[in-house]
Amino acid sequence: MKPTEKSGINRRIYWVGAFFVCLFLIIIGKTIYLQVFQGQWLSRLAAGEYEKTLTIRGKRGTIFDRNLREMAVSVDAASIAAYPRFIQEPGAVATALAEVLNLNRAALLRKITSDRTFVWIKRQSAPSEERAIRALGFKGIDFIPEHTRYYPNRYLAAQLLGFTGVDSRGLEGLEYYFNDELTGTERSFTVLKDALGKKFDGDNSVEGVYRGNDLVLTIDRTIQFITEKALGEAVADFKAKSGLAVVMAPKTGAILAMANFPLFNPNAFRRYDRELWRNRIITDPFEPGSTMKIFSAAAAIESGGCTPNTIFYCENGKYRIGREVVHDTRSHGWLSLNMIIKYSSNIGAVKVSEMIGAEALHRTLRHFGFGEKTGLTCPAETSGSLSPYQRWSRIDTGVISFGHGMSVSVLQLVTAVAAIANDGVLMKPYVVQEIRGRNGEPIQQYHPQEVRQAVSPQTAETVKKMMASVVEPEGTGARADLHGYTVCGKTGTAQNLNEAGEYARDAYVGSFVGFVPAEDPQIAILVVIDELPYGSYGGTVAAPTFRNIARETLNYLNIPADPGVDRITAGRPRVKVNG
Amino acid sequence: MRPYLPGYRGSFRSGFHMPPPYDLRLLFPMLFLVGIGIVMVYSASSAVALKDHGSDQFFLRRQALYVFPGFAVLLMCRYFPIRFLRALAYPILGLSFVSLVMVLLPGFGIKAGGATRWLRLGTISFQPAEFARLAMVVYLAYSMSKKDYKLETFSVGFVPHVMILLVFTFLIMLQPDFGTVVILFAITWILMFVGGVRLKYLLLSFLSSLPVVYLFLIGSSYRMRRIISFINPWRYAHDEGYQTVHSLMAFGTGGIWGVGLGKGYQKLFYLPEPHTDFIFSVIGEELGLMGILLVVVCFAYILWNGVKIARSAEDTFSSFLAVGLTVCVGLQACVNMGVALALLPTKGLTLPFISYGGTSLIMNMAFIGLLMNIGASQTRQESP
Repeated sequence: MKPTEKSGINRRIYWVGAFFVCLFLIIIGKTIYLQVFQGQWLSRLAAGEYEKTLTIRGKRGTIFDRNLREMAVSVDAASIAAYPRFIQEPGAVATALAEVLNLNRAALLRKITSDRTFVWIKRQSAPSEERAIRALGFKGIDFIPEHTRYYPNRYLAAQLLGFTGVDSRGLEGLEYYFNDELTGTERSFTVLKDALGKKFDGDNSVEGVYRGNDLVLTIDRTIQFITEKALGEAVADFKAKSGLAVVMAPKTGAILAMANFPLFNPNAFRRYDRELWRNRIITDPFEPGSTMKIFSAAAAIESGGCTPNTIFYCENGKYRIGREVVHDTRSHGWLSLNMIIKYSSNIGAVKVSEMIGAEALHRTLRHFGFGEKTGLTCPAETSGSLSPYQRWSRIDTGVISFGHGMSVSVLQLVTAVAAIANDGVLMKPYVVQEIRGRNGEPIQQYHPQEVRQAVSPQTAETVKKMMASVVEPEGTGARADLHGYTVCGKTGTAQNLNEAGEYARDAYVGSFVGFVPAEDPQIAILVVIDELPYGSYGGTVAAPTFRNIARETLNYLNIPADPGVDRITAGRPRVKVNG
Repeated sequence: MRPYLPGYRGSFRSGFHMPPPYDLRLLFPMLFLVGIGIVMVYSASSAVALKDHGSDQFFLRRQALYVFPGFAVLLMCRYFPIRFLRALAYPILGLSFVSLVMVLLPGFGIKAGGATRWLRLGTISFQPAEFARLAMVVYLAYSMSKKDYKLETFSVGFVPHVMILLVFTFLIMLQPDFGTVVILFAITWILMFVGGVRLKYLLLSFLSSLPVVYLFLIGSSYRMRRIISFINPWRYAHDEGYQTVHSLMAFGTGGIWGVGLGKGYQKLFYLPEPHTDFIFSVIGEELGLMGILLVVVCFAYILWNGVKIARSAEDTFSSFLAVGLTVCVGLQACVNMGVALALLPTKGLTLPFISYGGTSLIMNMAFIGLLMNIGASQTRQESP
């Protein structure tokens, strides 16, 4: 061995060593660059690639009517998904899926051959479709448990119930208000972790996911149907635009029916104008008109200075207050308070209010719950508008006494009238009587709740009698008369305000509010028919609708006729009346 | 406070004066890498194994079993008299040639993933290309040590070695296994450089081969796409750049401390061959920068000792042999890491000691055995 040669080799071996030092430095440098300086960006990018988080929800709770008949149910509707990477024969799979699901094959093929890790094939498929595809047994196809909301009674009480969106979230009505209660528990899982490590549909089981709570309503499906049917007929017969009706149990405040017309089908809510989705009984204020005279009369009697027989001069149909003139539809001379209600004299109501004063009128109206929300468990309730009496001018007090210059919700009005039927005790209206857990155990119960004694029982009794006279043959509400029952009620007519803030000539609101039987009131009903053509009044339009609803409901509830009522009066001739 | 131990000071002092023998200096980093390898092969392959073989431990069991023949071969190489190896240079070369031819014959070769790389002999199968590296190194070491000063001449020092290399290249390209060819070329050039072949020949031949490589690359759209995707992997993130991009994501996700052993995601079908070609990325994701540094330091320590052994070897044959073996291990490690880090276009080379693969593990352990052997003979000389 030549030492010189070996030393040359050794020198060159060092060069090789140095070469490797360079390589290792480059490798370490790049690693530090990736792991320290680009780590965040890269890991975010990676997470986007392999994490697809899905949520499995428990079934949404059922909504029952008071007799536990289903109003809203959730049915299984698995969503079909695919993991394109695991699909072995995309062509065959696309053909089969396209046939079963009636989808476009080309679009489907594009989806399942994409380089995404997870794609939806069809959200919320029908159970038959799910079965058919499961039977095909393709690899890479998965089923994510989901549910669709189904309303078996279709149109029935749609505005009250509301509806849910695709993600099973309540969007309107009770579905919205009680969304948290109705929603089942959720469990999220990362699709890919499951999809790769273990079996496909092993981890998206519904284990540990529970269904939501049930709602039991106070609504009676049959009464709701009766109400909607009568309302629909009235709107059609009188060429009106819409109608609202509420049936309430006056002694408890439980709402038995709540109808908005036109109806819509919550199973396909998107096909309807969104104006129809709202429960206008609760959300929309309206000018009540003459129905408010009941409360003016109640205020007069409650204040102590008045009896049903106290007489007022009704100015023969024209009464000037400052620059304004109040009219009656028929001119009257002297009328007793009872007659003022029976014939619905506006001037009489003004005279009554002038006698008792703005403060007493305001107090009584507040006691009946006007100007404040009832607290019904429904979204977007209006409080109506009732300004403080200190701000009322003389004409304000006058028109408020017959229900103008203020607004109320349909719900407020029926609740207030129900207080008269209930010996002057104002009840808090309620539509949900119980929230039930998934095993049927009660979680929360809603019991009848007194708000306050609005007027004394004696006053209520007196007003009740006056209201009964309205339905007598000469009264404005004669068409609400029922065979064999004493009906207490009051008509109302108002004109809608048009966009300019003036009273529209062809947009009348006819209403009738009342309760029956007079001796032991079981149901309080308010009917409002909106946008009537000229010449229609509460007495001619809403009163017969009230009668139809009341008759069938009493029949359904098996409420016996009043023993003291003369059945012969049933056949008496009708008179034309004005509201 | 250090506890007082009888004889502590003495033993410390003796260790200070006499560095541990090369046997230990090579054994421990190698054992460490093999250990990390078995753990990481399990972590990286369990999902693939479960899907393809029905058991998550399929690759783990096999890799753990390969360690035994690996140690047998290592011991054999450690105590095999080096001087006999000179005589065996041509027989080994011939054996390698035969095995490379046989793998191409139908009936012997096993085709997998578009390439025929495994040769089946009875119940065992191995990769002749792995063996070809050893044969080439032994042949070069023998040939160059024999030629001595004639190495400087073109016809004696350069041509024969390149001829043998071209024959091997031809056979291996028929498999095809481009990665191994690159490694063989690099080893040959590095060894010729160390041996003293004129730099002029080496550089000129390298430059003149560039057009050939270029034609070779553009001759195949598949290789061309690989190159293009290497230059900008993010643009082809869903096609050719897919592996590279996911490998980078694995490193990025790992950060400094890693996501934890077994908790990586990229091995779950995102990275192709997570337990062989891309195991370095899995280490990067699960063990983070710390794991990467450990592995790199182990390799660097092995290489450093390899270089030292080569420098102090008793004769040129041993010296060349040691350089060749060291470069074999080091270059393959660097290329594999470079591919995982997107510093090089994707090849298909394993990470020595760590990647799954019997032939690769056994051959690399044989290299370590031979290095120990050379190191030991020279230590014996040095020690009084």
